Amino acid sequence: MLYIIAFLLFAAGPILAFIPGRRIPALSAWSVMTSACILAGIQAVIAIAAGHNQSLVALQLPIIGPLDFVQTPLGGLLILITASVFAVALPFVTHDANLYPSARRGLFLTIVMLTLASMIGFFSAASIAAFIFCWELAALAIWGLITFETRQSKPVAAGLLTLALSELGSLAGLVSLLLLAAAAGSPQLEAIASAVPEMSPTLLMVAGLLAFFGFGMKAGIIPLNVWLPAAHGTAPRSTSPILSGATLNLGLYAFLRIDAPIALHLPQLGLIILSSGALTALIGIIYALVEKDMKRLLAQSSVENMGIATAGIGAGLTFAAYGHPFLGGASMVAGLYHMINHSTFKTLLFLGAGGIDASTGTHNLDELGGLMKRLPALGTFFLLGAFAIAALPPFNGFVSEWLLLESLLRVVEIPDIPVRITFALSGALLALTSGLALTCFIMLPGSALMGLPRSTHASAAKKAPLTVVIPMGLLALLALLLGLAATLILPVLSRLAAPLLGANPTASLVPDFFHIPSQVPLAVRHALDPIGANLGATFLPLRSLVVMHLNQGNAPVVYAMSTLLTFLVLIFMLATVWVLARGLRRRKHQVSRNTLWDAGLTRLRPEMTYTATTFAAPVRAVFQGFFHPLMEEKEERQGAFVLTRSYHQIITNISERLVIQPVIQSTMRIAALLAKMHKGRVNTYASYILIALVLVLIIVAGSP
Amino acid sequence: MSFWPYYGLKRGISTTSWPDGEEDSVGITPGRPRATQSLHPEESAAQCPTQALRVVKQQETSEHGVAVDFSRCIHCQRCRTGSHALPWSRDFAWGASTASAQPVLGSRFSASLHVLYIDAGACGACVNEVRLVDAPPYNLHRLGIFVTATPRNADVLLVAGPITDAMRTAILKAYAAMPAPKRVMGMGTCAINGGIFGESFACAGGLEKIIPVDLWLPGCPPPPLAIIHGLLSLVGRVAPASLEEQP
Amino acid sequence: MSISIELQTVLHSNSALSWHEHSEQWLQIMCPAEQLPTLTRYLLEKEEAEFATLLVEELADQENLTVHYLFYLPATGKLIELKVAVKAGAELPAISDTVHAADWHEREAWDLYGLRFSGHPFLGDFVLHDDDWPEGIDPMRRQFDGSKRPDAHGTGAEWAPPRLLQEEGAIVFPIGPVWGDFNESGLWLLETPGEQIRYLHTRLFYKYRGVEKIAEGRTVDQGLLLAERFAGASAFAHGWAYCQALEQIGACQPPPRAEQLRMVFAELERIRHHAANIAEIAGSTALSVAKALAQGIVEDLLRLSARLCGHRYFFGVLTPGGLREDLNTDALEILHNNLPAIDQRMRALEQHLEESSSFLDRIEEMGTLDSQMAKTYGVVGPIARASGRNIDLRRNLPYGQYGFLAPDVPLEEEGDGYARLRVFFAESRISVKLILDLLAFLPDGPIHSPCPVREGHALAWVEAPSGATFHWLRCTADGLITRLRLGTPGFRNWHAFERAIEGAAFQDFPIILATWGLSVAENDR
Repeated sequence: MLYIIAFLLFAAGPILAFIPGRRIPALSAWSVMTSACILAGIQAVIAIAAGHNQSLVALQLPIIGPLDFVQTPLGGLLILITASVFAVALPFVTHDANLYPSARRGLFLTIVMLTLASMIGFFSAASIAAFIFCWELAALAIWGLITFETRQSKPVAAGLLTLALSELGSLAGLVSLLLLAAAAGSPQLEAIASAVPEMSPTLLMVAGLLAFFGFGMKAGIIPLNVWLPAAHGTAPRSTSPILSGATLNLGLYAFLRIDAPIALHLPQLGLIILSSGALTALIGIIYALVEKDMKRLLAQSSVENMGIATAGIGAGLTFAAYGHPFLGGASMVAGLYHMINHSTFKTLLFLGAGGIDASTGTHNLDELGGLMKRLPALGTFFLLGAFAIAALPPFNGFVSEWLLLESLLRVVEIPDIPVRITFALSGALLALTSGLALTCFIMLPGSALMGLPRSTHASAAKKAPLTVVIPMGLLALLALLLGLAATLILPVLSRLAAPLLGANPTASLVPDFFHIPSQVPLAVRHALDPIGANLGATFLPLRSLVVMHLNQGNAPVVYAMSTLLTFLVLIFMLATVWVLARGLRRRKHQVSRNTLWDAGLTRLRPEMTYTATTFAAPVRAVFQGFFHPLMEEKEERQGAFVLTRSYHQIITNISERLVIQPVIQSTMRIAALLAKMHKGRVNTYASYILIALVLVLIIVAGSP
Repeated sequence: MSFWPYYGLKRGISTTSWPDGEEDSVGITPGRPRATQSLHPEESAAQCPTQALRVVKQQETSEHGVAVDFSRCIHCQRCRTGSHALPWSRDFAWGASTASAQPVLGSRFSASLHVLYIDAGACGACVNEVRLVDAPPYNLHRLGIFVTATPRNADVLLVAGPITDAMRTAILKAYAAMPAPKRVMGMGTCAINGGIFGESFACAGGLEKIIPVDLWLPGCPPPPLAIIHGLLSLVGRVAPASLEEQP
Repeated sequence: MSISIELQTVLHSNSALSWHEHSEQWLQIMCPAEQLPTLTRYLLEKEEAEFATLLVEELADQENLTVHYLFYLPATGKLIELKVAVKAGAELPAISDTVHAADWHEREAWDLYGLRFSGHPFLGDFVLHDDDWPEGIDPMRRQFDGSKRPDAHGTGAEWAPPRLLQEEGAIVFPIGPVWGDFNESGLWLLETPGEQIRYLHTRLFYKYRGVEKIAEGRTVDQGLLLAERFAGASAFAHGWAYCQALEQIGACQPPPRAEQLRMVFAELERIRHHAANIAEIAGSTALSVAKALAQGIVEDLLRLSARLCGHRYFFGVLTPGGLREDLNTDALEILHNNLPAIDQRMRALEQHLEESSSFLDRIEEMGTLDSQMAKTYGVVGPIARASGRNIDLRRNLPYGQYGFLAPDVPLEEEGDGYARLRVFFAESRISVKLILDLLAFLPDGPIHSPCPVREGHALAWVEAPSGATFHWLRCTADGLITRLRLGTPGFRNWHAFERAIEGAAFQDFPIILATWGLSVAENDR
């Protein structure tokens, strides 16, 4: 089994790193760990290709019960994503680990590898004991990563917050699992899934919600998402790509695994997942827009992307529950695709942020600027990553977001009005999110790469480390390929989603290029032929991305979009323009290069160029009521002269303001009440006991 | 409910037909002295505080006269009335090519000319006249001339004022940023030689000291139609005038 | 002597002060430097004196500089001059903590004379831009040769915009010096965290032509040409103030007909100036029809002016002692016939504008200068009257024949863009009425009386369209100017403009700027 070798290598890598010395141990540790990732990836590909479950380990432990692991195609996909993210992040992780003394270096890499190992375990878990065991192991490892640089106090606080919320989430998830297991009479996840139809709806609803919000915490689903930017903002820069690109998927997978069978019987659960996802996405991107710390901004954007993926899953489950498995497949596949895409471009962007930090020493956007000239390769890849995350074609973000929005529109097939309203509102939220995401990812590369350097950090930027630039290049290429070759990936995802929905929507989702699926009656097909429905089927490579749905009366509803074709047309247009421009220029005009027109200033100064703060000001103004910022104003005067004026704005996350702070406050109040009872005198406690005894006696006496 | 379009239409057409038709409304130009034969040229010329009038003696005819250097005239009106008055014209076609003028821009620009205006110390009068060029009585747009705020789109750089020191950099930068072919027009007597302000510690006293100029537009201030004349003669739609007039 | 008993007591009780009456109207107090802050504070707070202007003189035979602080009492029409002798390069206590209107005057004196004002927090980079002028040059001093560019000039040295705002991520957003379509040059530095303007630094003097310096050594006749042409939009007002100064020195009284015709021209200029401002306000809110209508009025007034006197901007109309040319009956007839129609068009425009709610939304509560701030900054002209300051030199310090024919002064309290617009309209209406009244009672007679050139100095003032302007002229017996001080309304009002912009958004900036209707040329000189 490749996993076993991989696990051995996971252990071997960090051990090598404990060996004193700089170059050789680091290099050997890196190569061992990378091979382990590759092995795990190969095994995952095998799992996906196999297309059926395959038991890996079945341990029977006393008290805890069975600790089983099984290889599923969907789990394989997540393992593939995880292993790939780790593989591309490892050079930078090793590079940064090498800055520590060898003992700490070994420890650091051990935690990194433990994270990977526990995640692989989690994605293969078959019993609730294995599920919870690996979940907790991963939570601990992540906490270890976040708090690894304990020199400052903030990481500890962020780590504690993560740990506390994680435990709260795990607790909720555990309760849900125990409820389900008790009702199903089996600790195996498969058995639970098949027993769902017999369970009471109330139980299912409680368990489903607990699982969704409990496990969803790890993916940043509202309301428990405040830990995410805090943690990712303070984690060591080399681990951010892993934390965001890989570990967030834990939460998605966890609630998908538990909730999918439930939601097929409880459409309301799917709707809750959909609307929570959409709301999470919007809140995430709004807060991303007011961040000026690059890492925190990217973390907030992760919240957004997880929200989009969640919304896709929720919409898919709802469609399926209402008996539209093909539409459900479209949404679900969009959600899963978005998860893959997020792992691609977020890893890329976090690597870029880490690289910028490594070469400038800061990740505060207000202190950056003008890096495109200093770090051209890193800057270009970073920009491509921003295009992808802003859902600009032909990059991958576009495919999944477009597919999701299109599939949401098909809610007209469901006659239920509340469902339609929920879909419409969620769709609107997601559309708004897309717009804001575009703003945000113009702002991020704009304020970091463009303009003039706004501090000495930026103007004296060192060369970016290759351990960042090369993986970034690979990821940028991947983001492009995932955008272009969507038609190759979607059928695979569709097959993976099939067991969850009970139908494989591939055929209706991605027909051959302009090839009308067989469900469409022959007469309709012939009617479409003259308008070019089969045009190009013979000579254009790959398949276009077409969502097709049959309406009543066999009228096909076709949404056609070919990203590959779009790209080809785009290239053709650009080439034509270029050729034309060259032709015109050659005639007699010359190109003259001049400095920037700065309205005639003697010199344009860095403080005159836009920062992230000023760029996002309109958004801050529009969402003023949402942010509820606290403003502190001060003015220093000398007679009639104003000498200085200072403004300080504090923005608290809405979920912290509306959920967490009230909870903390009421807890403190209850604690204070309880504290009043504790006078510390033996007599008082004795009287409490006496009263309690009397009460118990009365109750016992009163009962039959 | 807004009735603005109605108010506008009610006002009717007030736009001049010049250059296609004639324009001789009273008050559209301050006018300027004409060179003339005179029996007492010294007395006439002495009235001028800016040495715009020059005595000309022609040997063969022994006739005396006063020549006018329009680049110095600031319309102080001292030679307009009185016993040694010169005749004053009521024209406005004042734009005059410089010695270093490039060829006219030609038909490609005749219906699409973009102008960048830079104020290099102009008094309010030039500013006001240049603003009126855009107003209904003159309406620059009907001639296909447009005003732009950036040199990147500009074909003509229109500079008014005695070229103050602080604007020197701005003019140089704007000139450099303009795409070729580009033309420069110095507007007002100040731009030609500093006018009443002359050359000083604060003024270059003449646009030509900084960048090459194609067209001078004398006048203090040149009225809107003179500005239009200048712009049109840069394109070649009207013939430029001369800076000097001999008796 | 009709100064208040309190002021007399102050003067008598302080042995360091000496005073004499320069004229019936003009009290000169010789004041030691250290007494300045107390005395100016007293004048401002107890006597309700208005700051007129500050000027420095370097008399050729003296090592010392003389600094004149000119005040006037709007209630009684008295001038109070505080005269301080100071060694060149020495320090004076700044008075702008309290007399804030003197802030820019002190900065100007530091740049041009090297006169340091202790306690002033913002000296430097004002008239002479730091990125253009080398340090240690005082162009207004006699030893400085004003005829050519000094060496090491235009260095392009490093200059950082002033920053007063402390806020994370805030920037200094520059507007200018070349901006918009037909705008005057100047640099406006908006301190902002984006969208909202927290503070504005106005950096003017891109159009500094050194008029006060180049006037020195020229004849008083040439001086008139300069006075007319340094701010062409209010050429007549400045020319008139200059002529009044010459007439005071020459003890010449222009004939009544000339005085009345001067008033006619001045009021005509005021209407045109205000109409141009209204056009800009309408243009700034993209109300193009209203802008076109206002511009039509401006053009018609310009043509009317040219028909009356030959020049669209009244250049060359004035001459010391009267006017160059009389208006014949035809011209008066034309004026009499055309003015009511123009007035009618202005009234219609005002009414239409007041009916446009979208327009009012953009100027109401925009660029507000409250009355307290207006007093602190000592703003003048329509801006002051829109902020509840009831001050108009035509009434408070009458000149010409305004003593007999005082115009109404429109007063608004809000100090916002709309209040200023209403003042512009109201003043135009009042000016029309005044012109028609003047024409009805125009006396016959000469329009010019001889104005001999003498040695001396004088302070003259005019309520220019944009506010009070004070011209100080000192000349020799040969008629050469030794000092010309142009205390313009633009210089006063631009100073306060930066406070009206606070809290506005970017897109409001051009609108607020238009409602202030300020001239950069008048400020920069």
